[in-house]
Amino acid sequence: MRNVWIIAQREYMERIRTRGFLITTVMIPLVIAGFAFGSTFLAARANTNLHIAVVSNDPQLAGELRDELERQQAQSSGSTEKTSTPAAMASKPMKITVDGVLPSLKAKQSLEHDLDAGRLDGYLWVSGENARQAYSFTPRRSNMRAVEGALASALEKILLRGQLEQRGVAAGDANRLLEPVTIDEAARPQHQDAEAAELCVSILFFVMYLVIMLYGMNVARSIIEEKTSRIFEVMLATIRPEALMAGKIIGVGAVGLTQVGIWLGMLLVLAASSVAIHLGGDTLHIALTGPQVLFFFVYFILGYLLYSAIAAALGAITNSEQELQQMNMFLVLPLLSCFALLGTLMATPDNTLARVLALVPLFTPLLMYFRVSVGHPAAWEVALSIVLTSATICGIVWVTSRIYRIGVLMYGKRPNFAEIRRWIRYS
Amino acid sequence: MPVVELSHVRKVYDTKVAVDDLSIVIEPGTMFGLLGPNGSGKTSSIRMMIGITVPDSGTVSLFGKPFSRKMLASVGYLPEERGLYKKMNVLEQLVFLGRLHYLSASLATSRAKEWARRLQIAEALGKKTEDLSKGMQQKIQFIAALLHDPELIIMDEPFSGLDPVNAALLMDTLAELRQEGKTILFSTHRMDQVEKMCDNIALIHGGKLVLSGSMAAIKSKYPRNRVHITFEGDDGFLRDRRVEKVRRFGGQAEIVLRSSETPDEDAQALLIEALARGRVTRFEVTQPTLEDIFIEKVRETLPGVPGLSLEAVAEVEAPVEPEGSYLNA
Repeated sequence: MRNVWIIAQREYMERIRTRGFLITTVMIPLVIAGFAFGSTFLAARANTNLHIAVVSNDPQLAGELRDELERQQAQSSGSTEKTSTPAAMASKPMKITVDGVLPSLKAKQSLEHDLDAGRLDGYLWVSGENARQAYSFTPRRSNMRAVEGALASALEKILLRGQLEQRGVAAGDANRLLEPVTIDEAARPQHQDAEAAELCVSILFFVMYLVIMLYGMNVARSIIEEKTSRIFEVMLATIRPEALMAGKIIGVGAVGLTQVGIWLGMLLVLAASSVAIHLGGDTLHIALTGPQVLFFFVYFILGYLLYSAIAAALGAITNSEQELQQMNMFLVLPLLSCFALLGTLMATPDNTLARVLALVPLFTPLLMYFRVSVGHPAAWEVALSIVLTSATICGIVWVTSRIYRIGVLMYGKRPNFAEIRRWIRYS
Repeated sequence: MPVVELSHVRKVYDTKVAVDDLSIVIEPGTMFGLLGPNGSGKTSSIRMMIGITVPDSGTVSLFGKPFSRKMLASVGYLPEERGLYKKMNVLEQLVFLGRLHYLSASLATSRAKEWARRLQIAEALGKKTEDLSKGMQQKIQFIAALLHDPELIIMDEPFSGLDPVNAALLMDTLAELRQEGKTILFSTHRMDQVEKMCDNIALIHGGKLVLSGSMAAIKSKYPRNRVHITFEGDDGFLRDRRVEKVRRFGGQAEIVLRSSETPDEDAQALLIEALARGRVTRFEVTQPTLEDIFIEKVRETLPGVPGLSLEAVAEVEAPVEPEGSYLNA
């Protein structure tokens, strides 16, 4: 244990003092913040105005359409729900202009001209009889699906209102009938929990992915470094390879935790300041319970240890960085596949499939955390998952240290699976 | 109680037999030379002594007990493949390695400084390892092996790649350590180093023990039938009937006498003959050198395969006497 600590300490100190650590610590949040800020900024700029024309024999349609679109916008910005209306994408309400045009050949030409000149975002051509009308929308750009959707639903309502009024329903009553149904979310706590948990699991996934790709690969690289610098023989003559592996994983992992800790600290400072509000910070406030935070760290650390142990194994069987790069799918694939599984498990976190998969060590960190947050796993299931994952970590470290010990003493080509199997059995 | 005891040790890598039925005993306080040409199994034997690999059969004992990893705390090891953490500060590296050998950080620091002074590289301590010359890195590694004051010091080819001044410095240091009562084992294929320094030797070839014992005992088995002579004038005396073989280097000759019963008398007779034909500035009657013995032994063990034995001999011989040639009298 003493040696594990000394090895870990060395790995930690050597890494934390490098310029690379400083750069990634500062640069990654800057890049992310820049990206987030940039996209919000661009989104805010992009859709400030919507100018469309309606070509119809009904001169009232243009006005009705504008009113309906504005009502839609007001509704969607009022609720936090994400909708596909273009108004929801921008934080500022956009100015909607709808021109009414009577159909004629000349009108079409001038509309096309306006469209080309960028004065118009699109025009809607209404043709046919009152009973069976055809609508065709010509957008300026091809990616205006959201506008088309908004138009369709606005037109639907206008037509419905027209029909209702024709059948003698008063205008006020018709409006009330057409009011969208809002569902009180407080009445469905389970649903909100699932959403928060989904977000947390997603964050866990991305943090884990990032830390594993950065630091799991660092563990592998550090093992390769030991081989190329040929210090392994001194180390093998001094300590157990298991201690060396464990020390490396812990030391490098501690660097990762330090970095994540710094980032979290920066985020908290940011959240406390007004900058966060400007960035649309209300998604930052995630309601988490104490046990959820605890389990987040438990499963995050288990996940890191498991995957960096696998990375260490990859480092032990490869001889160079290039060879390592070819192998890193072994790290990414299990992570990605359990993230893909999340979608199907979201609705039923306690069914048999979820219960079984969450006990598979490779999937435990993400899936069991998800179940703890959303579902109702039995205490024994949680305990078993932790025990199984810990045992797997120890097993992988043990196997890896064997591969390492034999592998470094035999130089040259990468071993095939038969050779690796023989090395593991060999003492 | 021997410090190291290998008993009928055998190690096979895939299809190659690296070490075969090897038994070695190293007594405390002695300097032991493990000799053999390249690829003879020296490094494989050493690795089994310190548990880097485990023998397929046979037993390894250190300090009188079956090997266990705890014993490594009193073993200092300098591997043939030198290696240090390249980016690491030299002093920190030494302290790190010392701490792995159960030294406290402060004791490791003071010992590292003391050793650096002793080996004249104090100025290197503050540098990064990769900034040092190869010879200096080797000295650092030498210190790393000795920092925890080990009872048993094992060095695989300790002098290879060093200039004569530094090689002499390290040899003197090893001699001092032996005076302090440490047990030292080093491997080499340079017979001249061994002859000067070792109390006991083991000579291995093709993974097998060819010769072992104390330096004095081995040599006493061989008659003093070698004559080293430096002369001026006619070399006709070299064709005397008493002479079996001659190696000529300019004005010098190494003679093997035919008789092993009366070599001394034959040598004197030869000297008289040489003086009759010219001047003699040096005349010495000695036992065969370790190298001669080694060559002889390798030829004995492989009588049926002359090609193989000659190849092995050539490796040993080449660096010492590049110009040597045999004349048969």
